[in-house]
Amino acid sequence: MKRKSGGSDSYRVATSQDKKDDKGSPKKSKAKERRDLDDLKKEVAMTEHKMSVEEVCRKYNTDCVQGLTHSKAQEILARDGPNALTPPPTTPEWVKFCRQLFGGFSILLWIGAILCFLAYGIQAGTEDDPSGDNLYLGIVLAAVVIITGCFSYYQEAKSSKIMESFKNMVPQQALVIREGEKMQVNAEEVVVGDLVEIKGGDRVPADLRIISAHGCKVDNSSLTGESEPQTRSPDCTHDNPLETRNITFFSTNCVEGTARGVVVATGDRTVMGRIATLASGLEVGKTPIAIEIEHFIQLITGVAVFLGVSFFILSLILGYTWLEAVIFLIGIIVANVCLTLTAKRMARKNCLVKNLEAVETLGSTSTICSDKTGTLTQNRMTVAHMWFDNQIHEADTTEDQSGTSFDKSSHTWVALSHIAGLCNRAVFKGGQDNIPVLKRDVAGDASESALLKCIELSSGSVKLMRERNKKLSIHETEDPNDNRYLLVMKGAPERILDRCATILLQGKEQPLDEEMKEAFQNAYLELGGLGERVLGFCHYYLPEEQFPKGFAFDCDDVNFTTDNLCFVGLMSMIDPPRAAVPDAVGKCRSAGIKVIMVTGDHPITAKAIAKGVGIISEGNETVEDIAARLNIPVSQVNPRDAKACVIHGTDLKDFTSEQIDEILQNHTEIVFARTSPQQKLIIVEGRLIFDNLKKSIAYTLTSNIPEITPFLLFIMANIPLPLGTITILCIDLGTDMVPAISLAYEAAESDIMKRQPRNPRTDKLVNERLISMAYGQIGMIQALGGFFSYFVILAENGFLPGNLVGIRLNWDDRTVNDLEDSYGQQWTYEQRKVVEFTCHTAFFVSIVVVQWADLIICKTRRNSVFQQGMKNKILIFGLFEETALAAFLSYCPGMDVALRMYPLKPSWWFCAFPYSFLIFVYDEIRKLILRRNPGGWVEKETYY
Amino acid sequence: DDQDEVNQNYLADEEEDAEQEAQMMMVPGLEEEEEEEEGKEEEEEREEEGQGQPTGNAWRQKLQIVTEYLWDPEKRMSLARTGQSRSLILVIYFFFYASLAAVITLFLYMLFLAISPYMPTFTEQVKPPGVMIRPFAHSLNFNFNVSEPETWQHYVVSLNGFLQGYNDSLQEEMNVDCPPGQYFIQDGDEDEDKKACQFKRSFLKNCSGLEDPTFGYSTGQPCILLKMNRIVGFRPELGDPVKVSCKVQKGDEYDIRSISYYPESASFDLRYYPYYGKLTHVNYTSPLVAMHFTDVVKNQAVPVQCQLKGKGIINDVINDRFVGRIIFTLNIET
Repeated sequence: MKRKSGGSDSYRVATSQDKKDDKGSPKKSKAKERRDLDDLKKEVAMTEHKMSVEEVCRKYNTDCVQGLTHSKAQEILARDGPNALTPPPTTPEWVKFCRQLFGGFSILLWIGAILCFLAYGIQAGTEDDPSGDNLYLGIVLAAVVIITGCFSYYQEAKSSKIMESFKNMVPQQALVIREGEKMQVNAEEVVVGDLVEIKGGDRVPADLRIISAHGCKVDNSSLTGESEPQTRSPDCTHDNPLETRNITFFSTNCVEGTARGVVVATGDRTVMGRIATLASGLEVGKTPIAIEIEHFIQLITGVAVFLGVSFFILSLILGYTWLEAVIFLIGIIVANVCLTLTAKRMARKNCLVKNLEAVETLGSTSTICSDKTGTLTQNRMTVAHMWFDNQIHEADTTEDQSGTSFDKSSHTWVALSHIAGLCNRAVFKGGQDNIPVLKRDVAGDASESALLKCIELSSGSVKLMRERNKKLSIHETEDPNDNRYLLVMKGAPERILDRCATILLQGKEQPLDEEMKEAFQNAYLELGGLGERVLGFCHYYLPEEQFPKGFAFDCDDVNFTTDNLCFVGLMSMIDPPRAAVPDAVGKCRSAGIKVIMVTGDHPITAKAIAKGVGIISEGNETVEDIAARLNIPVSQVNPRDAKACVIHGTDLKDFTSEQIDEILQNHTEIVFARTSPQQKLIIVEGRLIFDNLKKSIAYTLTSNIPEITPFLLFIMANIPLPLGTITILCIDLGTDMVPAISLAYEAAESDIMKRQPRNPRTDKLVNERLISMAYGQIGMIQALGGFFSYFVILAENGFLPGNLVGIRLNWDDRTVNDLEDSYGQQWTYEQRKVVEFTCHTAFFVSIVVVQWADLIICKTRRNSVFQQGMKNKILIFGLFEETALAAFLSYCPGMDVALRMYPLKPSWWFCAFPYSFLIFVYDEIRKLILRRNPGGWVEKETYY
Repeated sequence: DDQDEVNQNYLADEEEDAEQEAQMMMVPGLEEEEEEEEGKEEEEEREEEGQGQPTGNAWRQKLQIVTEYLWDPEKRMSLARTGQSRSLILVIYFFFYASLAAVITLFLYMLFLAISPYMPTFTEQVKPPGVMIRPFAHSLNFNFNVSEPETWQHYVVSLNGFLQGYNDSLQEEMNVDCPPGQYFIQDGDEDEDKKACQFKRSFLKNCSGLEDPTFGYSTGQPCILLKMNRIVGFRPELGDPVKVSCKVQKGDEYDIRSISYYPESASFDLRYYPYYGKLTHVNYTSPLVAMHFTDVVKNQAVPVQCQLKGKGIINDVINDRFVGRIIFTLNIET
């Protein structure tokens, strides 16, 4: 397959992508590889469909009857390689695994673990009775790194399965003709120039140029999104290879009929192959969110290293031994780096919640290009209107037929429903009797399914009807006295009308005069203008004399009349818009996001749907509308007058990028119709993700302060250590995890869509306001809560706060076993260590308690929690989960040995409650001021 | 690869802004490094774009951006803030932290109101009592050579210092002589000052340092004083004072052939209990038991375990070797 050369005349519909590129990475670099990708993105360049069969055969040195010779086929196979999609170049699994295990900041944790083992080793060498703390911590750290490494490796492995799903699209067997012989070969062995035969049910083994076809229809939906099976014939019907009828595509399905074709492309050179390559090529690119997260992690790692090193130096200056200093260093690194582990996990979780591709352009979206089918519409054809008895009726699609109805006793309706039910190959799949009709699965194409459902709803079982009226297309009639055969036919209305001489009105056949034709035209246009797919129906009772019972009908050699039939009516179907779409489009609009619809549908249909969902809003006209209204040729309309614009895919091809820019600038409402998949983009709903990620980060960062301040005071004020490294790990990897992730499920705040799109250069994930809020304000209150519990426990056990300062040297001396407390009591080393570890546990529990409040305030950035509500079930679960986990860690027997966490007296749980409450009140007041005084000082300084 | 490059460039742009946030947290060195990187990237970018600008320009621009960030004369801003907004935020933070300090002070004050200064709220962690010995020099190994006084002189000094508070004259002056064999219970208000029982240095006889100022170290018969940790409200079982007994911890039990205990009962008399706490029981003197190792195998390390015995005393906790017992080694060289 040839590719358009160079990038000079290249264009892309991916306008928002272009914009992003311009903003985010204005410096284009190493343009070569990119150009490759651009080439792929371009329209398929195929010329075979325009050639005659002979020319194609000549081009591929093949015979259109005999096919290739075996030797020739072997030769080509050796030259082109197997007919399969090449998997993207893969890094060996163990490299991937090691990258997860040792890459990035896991190396920091490894260093921490190694330092721990080293410290333990030195202690074991110098002391008779080394404490196992460092050994345990080292083991825990190593375990953490290994577990998270395995986890992320597993996730990566999962995502790489996307490509494997493409592999599965390759057909297994193919029927080829070589040296005049039909033979089954492995699809991988099919080569360019092979003659291939396909029949209904087959997967197309390669891109084929059809040379003969019998009623062949293919389902191109995996390629174009077009749900309707398309006819295939040897004639070239369109310049665009994707539109023309004489090409079938690799890995699409043949629905019915048979066809024979010459293979024109195999493997990666097929259209599908190019898309697969494109899809796997795109994975390489980092999404804005990934960049943000990377930035965030760099920031945190920077902070961790800075804090760790400065604490190290500080503790050396303060006269600690280097071993102690190393242990402090480990503590700081663990506190910070584990935090980023949570954040990373959470970010990944976030990306899993919505799918990864959807995050592509994120909150910085300024333009949304949406596919129609399945995104804006439900991809479920439904009969919407009917026209019979010269009247348009609205179809009743309610399950119990309670909606607005029409006169079902009309003979015309009976005839129409008969035709729709009989001239229809769609059947319900088995075992669905209890499922509502509208929700049942149907085997058959979209419009026939729609008809089937409609008739099933309004006239009862179609199956019974078919049983009573045997045979397809020509039926024996129900009435035993009537021996006439019934011929039924449906199809494009104008074609059907051409075959009709009469029309059924109120059950009586009447001649089809000009007046009726006019009425038909109006109805057709009206229904078509609604964006509906219109089908015409006619029938004919074959005269008994000519076609007696038992007459042998022959469809191939038509031996019965197909003209002068009786027109019965029209039925029109629509793919209804999703209920939430108009609202969503409206919200995007108010957020200043331009919404563009890109579809493979006919422009009229496209326009109607666009109007239906509000992409073209009420009162806005396209150039064509204006022309029609003013009754002037389209060329005379000033394009600036038209706010809306429908662009045909074929026109788009001929536009230069300047022209496209102009269109995008001049029209606020744009619909691209009849576009190919390469021109389609994905709808993006990234703001919520970005918002929630911010909240998650604010939540996790906050607990960093109560984790670090204990170390700070321990070193500076020489108090017993208030919070140990193990407990820090418990917070970062245990209790904070689920709540942080639960914020990803938080519903959007009411103002989310009223905000301007995010500017990726200035609005970042982590900004100084977030840091100031999390570290400077909420975190400080949290630390106070933790310290208060710490002081309470020590005081209640005899060590009043006043005595604590400077006590550390004796406190941590193993040989001092009569340390005096404020009451004159004397403590052994182990006794006071138990109290210290109880303090760690209490500090830990306090952090959990203050994190409750933090979680609730992080739910919203502007609204009050009373406005937002507590509807996030996962968040509520998270609250209970962290509390239960904290209680478990404190009370589970054996924890005193395993993690050195001790059971707390119930009253100690309440120490941090006032601080939790304080956080809540403080932030509610802040948000109140924020809302009352938009743009004010509080917003500028604290709105993150 | 290509995409990464783009992202890095993108990141580089961000770093300018990121620096503002990170200013307070980054090591200056780190920052400079990053700037360098940025600079390099910028150069590459420019080369790739092929705009043909001299690379020095990029450096100058970077420098300008940084200096402008540090001090922007036009907007009169330094570190992206005007003096006014900076002082405002400082004032706000000052008040914020001041009120937080007030809050914690208030809570601690309430804590002091809530707990009694005379009696600890909980004492279960400090029970059962631990044991400590004197002389104590951050080590539980007693290594000395009888013939070299400098090897044991510090023990003597330590013991002398420790026993200053037990001098008979001082005890007689400060404390009362209360009847032995029964608790010295002083009812009355919590905040009333309590009297303390005398424990005279002379009770320790040969280990008092009065007759033998070297506490037996000069003869290879060292004295070691044992005291039980004070616990507010702790009372041994009535009529059953806590006794002390020492033996070889592991090895030949005849390595210690004889020990003399002073007082001879080798126990802590009941009259020294209960303890009422530092605040009211000001002159409380911890009772002692002196162990006089009169005949111990010389020139070899002898591990000694001294245990408290009595009801309510636990002396076999595995992970705390100072509760109800103490283990030390004697290595007396001649």
